[in-house]
Amino acid sequence: MVLQILIVAVTLVCAFQALRARRLLISALWLAGTSALVALMIYLLGAPEVAVVELSVGAGLVTILFVFAINIAGEETLPAHSLIPRPLSWGLVIVSVLLLGWFTLPRLLPVFPAPDSTPFSQVVWEQRGLDMLLQVALIFTGVLGVVGLLVDHRKPSHAPEGHPDGNGLAQTWEEK
Amino acid sequence: MSLSILRILVIAVLGLVGVGFYGLLISRNLIKVVVALQILVKGVLLALVAAGSMQGQVNLGQSMALTVIVADTVVAVVGLALAVQMRRHCGTLDIQALTSLRR
Amino acid sequence: MTLVTFLIALVIGLPWAGAVAVWLVGDHHPRLLNTLAVAFAALASLAALVLIPTGQAQPVVLFKVGGVFGDITFMPDGLGIILASIATVIGCLAVIFSIDYMRGEAQLARYYALVLFFIGAMAGLVLTSNLLLVFVFWEITALCSYALISFHNDDPKAVAGGIKALIITQLGGIGLLAGSLLIYTYLGSFDIQNFLRLFGVLPPAILAWTAFGFLAAAAAKSAQFPFHTWLPDAMEAPTPVSALIHAATMVNAGVYLLARFYPAFKDVANWSIAVIVVGAVTALLAACMAMVSNDLKRVLAYSTVSQLGYMVYAIGAGGIFESQFHLFSHAVFKALLFLGAGAVIHSVGTRDMRQMGGLGKQMPLVRNVFITGAVAMAGIIPLNGFWSKELVLEAGLKGGPVWAYAIMVLTAGLTAFYTFRCVWMVFYGTPARERHAHDAGTAMKVALIPLALGALTTWLVAGPFSVLLEGAQVPAANSTPEVMLTLTILGEVLSSPLTLLALGVIALGLVAWWQRERLNGVALALQIIGKAAAHSFGFEAINRGVVSAVQESGEALRVTQTGLLNWNIFGILLALAIVLAILIRGA
Repeated sequence: MVLQILIVAVTLVCAFQALRARRLLISALWLAGTSALVALMIYLLGAPEVAVVELSVGAGLVTILFVFAINIAGEETLPAHSLIPRPLSWGLVIVSVLLLGWFTLPRLLPVFPAPDSTPFSQVVWEQRGLDMLLQVALIFTGVLGVVGLLVDHRKPSHAPEGHPDGNGLAQTWEEK
Repeated sequence: MSLSILRILVIAVLGLVGVGFYGLLISRNLIKVVVALQILVKGVLLALVAAGSMQGQVNLGQSMALTVIVADTVVAVVGLALAVQMRRHCGTLDIQALTSLRR
Repeated sequence: MTLVTFLIALVIGLPWAGAVAVWLVGDHHPRLLNTLAVAFAALASLAALVLIPTGQAQPVVLFKVGGVFGDITFMPDGLGIILASIATVIGCLAVIFSIDYMRGEAQLARYYALVLFFIGAMAGLVLTSNLLLVFVFWEITALCSYALISFHNDDPKAVAGGIKALIITQLGGIGLLAGSLLIYTYLGSFDIQNFLRLFGVLPPAILAWTAFGFLAAAAAKSAQFPFHTWLPDAMEAPTPVSALIHAATMVNAGVYLLARFYPAFKDVANWSIAVIVVGAVTALLAACMAMVSNDLKRVLAYSTVSQLGYMVYAIGAGGIFESQFHLFSHAVFKALLFLGAGAVIHSVGTRDMRQMGGLGKQMPLVRNVFITGAVAMAGIIPLNGFWSKELVLEAGLKGGPVWAYAIMVLTAGLTAFYTFRCVWMVFYGTPARERHAHDAGTAMKVALIPLALGALTTWLVAGPFSVLLEGAQVPAANSTPEVMLTLTILGEVLSSPLTLLALGVIALGLVAWWQRERLNGVALALQIIGKAAAHSFGFEAINRGVVSAVQESGEALRVTQTGLLNWNIFGILLALAIVLAILIRGA
C-alpha cells in the first residue's frame, strides 16, 4: 500500500517536471520516466502484456521520436508567460478534476466479481476484432499524414482553362 | 485488489489527467503540447486498465488500452512531424504563429 | 464468411478501395487513373448484380459492435439490392463516360476519388439496416455531392451551387437525425427491421414527428417542394456527375427512405396526403419551370425533379412497387439523357439551347440516343417510361384523391411538351451560328448505347422486379396482387382505360409543340405564369435568403475562433466541466 502511494507520487512529480522543464530534451526524458512508472503501475494491476507494450512504446519508441524531432527542429526556449492567465487555467483544471473525482469515486463498488479467465489473445482477436481493423486504418492514416507532411511539393500546377459546364445562361447567375 | 488501492488509482488517474490538461492550457511550444498530450493519454491508459481490473475483466481493459496506445503513438508521430514542418516553414515553434486559419 | 457478406463487403469496399488507389496514383498518369476507376467501378457493379439472385431478406451482420451504436448490419433485400445495382451500374457507365468528357482536365484524381467514394456510400446507404449508418452514409453522399458540384473550385458559380446544395440538403438531414434519435429513445435500438416490427410502441405524436422529419429529409434530398431549388444550381457539376448523382442515385435516396419506412408511417394522420401533395405540387411546378428554361441541363434538372414528384406521389398513394419501378426506369432514361446532353455540351462548349440547333446532322448517334431517352421520358409506348408512368398513374388514382391524379395527368402532357421542345431546340431547326460539332467519342458511345438499350427494354423485367420487391416485405399496392408475371402487369396496363386517357394527354402535348405558332395567343395569355416560372415561383428568393442567413451567422460567430490552441483546449475543458456538472446534478 505504501509502495503504491510512493509510485503514484513519483509519477505525478515526473509528469509535472516534464511540463516545467525549460529544455525540450529534459522534458522528453521526464516523460520517459512517467511512462516507465505508469507501466509499472499497470503491471502491478495484473496486466503484464500491456505493461510491456507501454514500456517499450511509451518509454522507448516515443522518447526516441521526441529526441529525433527535437534534434531536427532545434531547441527553442520560449518566454515563460502563457497566453491564458495561469490562475485561470489552474482554476479550470482543478474544477474539472474535482468534478471528475466527484463523479467517479462514489461509483466505485466494493464488490469485485470473480476474475474472468479469457486469455488475452482471444479477447483481442475475437471480441475486439473491430478494434484491430481500426488500428490498422489509424496506422495507415498516420503514415499517409506523415508522408504528406514531409514531402516537398515543387511542381507548379498549370492554370485551369474554362470548362463548358460553366457556360450556362448569363441570367441564371445573379451576384449576391 | 482492495477499495483503498482503487481509490489511490483514481487519484493517480485524476492527477495525470489534470497535469496533462494543465500542460495543454499552458504550453506555447508545440512540442510541449505533444508532451502534455502524452501525459494525458497515460492517465487514460491507467484508467482503462484499472477499470478492467476492477470488473474482473482485465483482458478486456488491456485490449482497449492497446488500441489507445496505438492511436496515441500515431498522434505523437504526426504531431512531431507537424512540429518539424512548422519549424521549417514558420521558423518558430510558438503556437501563436499558427493562427492563419482565422482569416 | 458467407457469400452474401462477402458480396456486400465488395459492393461497398471496392469503390472505396478504388477511391484510395486513385488518390494515391495522383494527377500525372491520366490513363492509369481511367483504367483503375473503370476497373473498380465495373467490379463493384458485378458484385451488386451477383447479389440480385443471391440476396436474402435476412439481416447480415458485418461487425458486431454492440452497445449504443448497434451492430453494423446490412439487409440485402430486394429494395436495397435494386438500388445498389442501379447505383453501381450507372456509376460504372458514368465513369466510362468521364474518360472522354474529362480528358485534359486538371485534378482528375480528386474527381475519380470522389465519384468512387460516392458510389460506395450510396450502395451502403440502401443496403444497411442500421439507422445510424443510414445517416452516416447520407452525410457522405451529401459531402461527395458538394465536393463534385464545386469540382471546378475556381468558378464562383460552381462553388455557390455546391454550398447551396449542401446547406439545403443538410437542413433536411436534421429531420432524419431527429427521427432516428426519437426512434432510439423509444425502442433502444437503431435497427430498421426492429423499428418496422415494433413501431406501434411509439406514442402517436412521436411517430408523427418522426414521420414528418423523415419526409422533410427525403424532400430536401430529392429536391421536392419546397426544397426544389438546389438541383438546378447543382448543374454546374461536370455532366457525368450530374448524370450519376443528381439523376440516378443520390436524389433517389429520399424516395428510398420513404419507401423503406412506408409500412411504419402509412397510418400516421395526414402523412400520406402530405406525401401526395408534395409529390404532385413538385411535379407540376417543376414541369412549368422546365417549359420556360433555355439551359439544356436545367431543363433536365427540372424534369428530374418532376419525375421524382411522380415517385413520391406513388408512394403516398401506397404504390411502392410502382414507384420503385418508375425509379428504375427513370434512372436509366435520365442518365441516358444527361450523358447525351453531356456529349452535346462537350462538343459545342455551351449549355444554352438558343445557341444550338441543327446538331442532329452532325451528331447522329447522340441525336438517336437522346431521342430514345426523350421518348421514354415523355411516356410514349413501348419504352420503359410509358409502362412505369402508367403504373404510377393507376396506383395514384386508386390510392389518392382525384385532383392529384388530374394534376399528374396534366403534368404528363407538359412533360411531353418540354421534352420535345428540348429535342427540337438542340437537334433540329436552323443553327444559331455555324458550329462544327463532332459526334461522341468512343468512351461516350460505350456508355450511351447500353443505356439506350435499357430504355428500350427494361420494362420487360417488371415481373421479376415485383418478385424481388415482394421479398423485401414491402406492402403490395392497394389492388395489384403481390407477385405478377411481366405479361400480367403489362396486360393490365394496356387494358386500362386510364392508359388511353394519359396517352391522349401526351399526344396533346406533342401536338401543342408542333402547332406552337398557332398557339401563340395561348402562350401570351399564360405569359404571367411563364415569368413566375422563370423565377421559380419565388422559391429561389427564399432559398437565397436561407443560404445568406446561414453564411452571415457563420461570419458573425467568427469572433469566437481565436485560432490559438490554448483557448481551444480551454473551451473543450470548460465543456467537459459543464457536462459533468449536468450529469452530477441529474444523477
